Amino acid sequence: MTDIDVWRAAAAATGPADRVAAEAGVRLAYRAAGLAEPERIVWADSPRAAVALLGADDGPYGPAARGRGVRESVRTAPWAAERDRAQRRLGPQGWGRHWGATGGRLWEHTERLAERVRGGLVEELTAGSAAPAAAERSLRLLLLDAVLGQHDAAWLCAFDTREGTPLHGLGVLARSAGWWWPYERLAVLCERPVELHRDEAGRLDRGDGPALAFPDGFALHAWRGMPVPAEFLAGLGTLTPELIRAEENAELRRVMLEFYGYDRYLRESGATPVHQDETGVLWRIPMPDDEAVVMVEVVNSTPEPDGTSRTYWLRVPPTTRTAREGVAWTFGLGAEAYAPLRQT
Amino acid sequence: MYRQGDVLIVPLDESAVPPHAADADQEPRDARGRMVLALGEVTGHAHAVLGPGRLVREPGVFGPLLLHLPDGGRVVHEEHAAIPLPKGWYRVVRQREYIPGAVRIVAD
Repeated sequence: MTDIDVWRAAAAATGPADRVAAEAGVRLAYRAAGLAEPERIVWADSPRAAVALLGADDGPYGPAARGRGVRESVRTAPWAAERDRAQRRLGPQGWGRHWGATGGRLWEHTERLAERVRGGLVEELTAGSAAPAAAERSLRLLLLDAVLGQHDAAWLCAFDTREGTPLHGLGVLARSAGWWWPYERLAVLCERPVELHRDEAGRLDRGDGPALAFPDGFALHAWRGMPVPAEFLAGLGTLTPELIRAEENAELRRVMLEFYGYDRYLRESGATPVHQDETGVLWRIPMPDDEAVVMVEVVNSTPEPDGTSRTYWLRVPPTTRTAREGVAWTFGLGAEAYAPLRQT
Repeated sequence: MYRQGDVLIVPLDESAVPPHAADADQEPRDARGRMVLALGEVTGHAHAVLGPGRLVREPGVFGPLLLHLPDGGRVVHEEHAAIPLPKGWYRVVRQREYIPGAVRIVAD
């Protein structure tokens, strides 16, 4: 595997952390930063558990017991030094090219995943709080102390993390564990998720359970990237066209329709095609108090291994009048300009 | 123009190619030396072209990708039949889908 594949896999890795390697990585990172190794390394089953453990002001891992946060010295400063070194060596354009060939390819997905974890923590841990704004502020501050471990893959991919280099310890940890919190006297390390389900576009996606879950039950639910409540997913199995029509949240209704199946919904609602030509079939589903769902039904040109052809549905703007116009729109073209010579 | 799954490859007249494209930074090739037009994040399946040529990321009307095949080539994918491409310049477009208030790309 090339470096980028190794880091792509590290970013998406699930299953128990390699605790021995991760702890060695932490010690190495402290020493590389010129700090004494942390007196204690504590494991948490998820970022939620880590935050709970660190949150109590007077607890065994509270601010007095753990000392100041050392994220700046352990991660940010050595990281910035490496980037400066690389930029000097490669020049601005060379660095741009290097980033494009390495970290730039992993950045979008890992950053989005990390942001979803942050968002999930904030949502779950501030719900029901007497002072939600204050709770969110202190939680966000705590999240600023975190080093993202496996979710730092994009940056680490762009740097040299081989043995003997300044970022080796951070690299070892990122390939062995999840997020972690470095303090003067304490490091709190997180397990990796036990479940991670994404679609081909890299978005969190699962219809029958959490798309991301940690060993202690901290979980995020999502359908094709869209955050949904766990109970919403549980209800998808008993959908009816009436329930779909009655859903007031347009985004949730879209998820319901996709899950239920456009074809089934159209069949059961007795819909008839609006237009049909050699590119496909155009369908229209009127929605109460909302713009209509207009879709093109397209048959995949390459048959599946069993000889059948997969039909798929693409939603197009509600103003679309013909199937050709719809398919052309999906490629940013006008109907008259869309004319594939060959398609597979 | 040629279509392989969710990718459309549109021939571009030589005179329409932005002048800087010939010298612009190329998109990096993958570990197998291929020019990757679109990559599936989970399966790793890719719409890809092997052989001489250049792939340039381009904002605006020509983008997101310009492909130059001086000797022609073939675009391959694990789940779609290969398509031979005559020599020349192409604009590579990824299929998108309408969502109210936004647009998202399609992953096949």
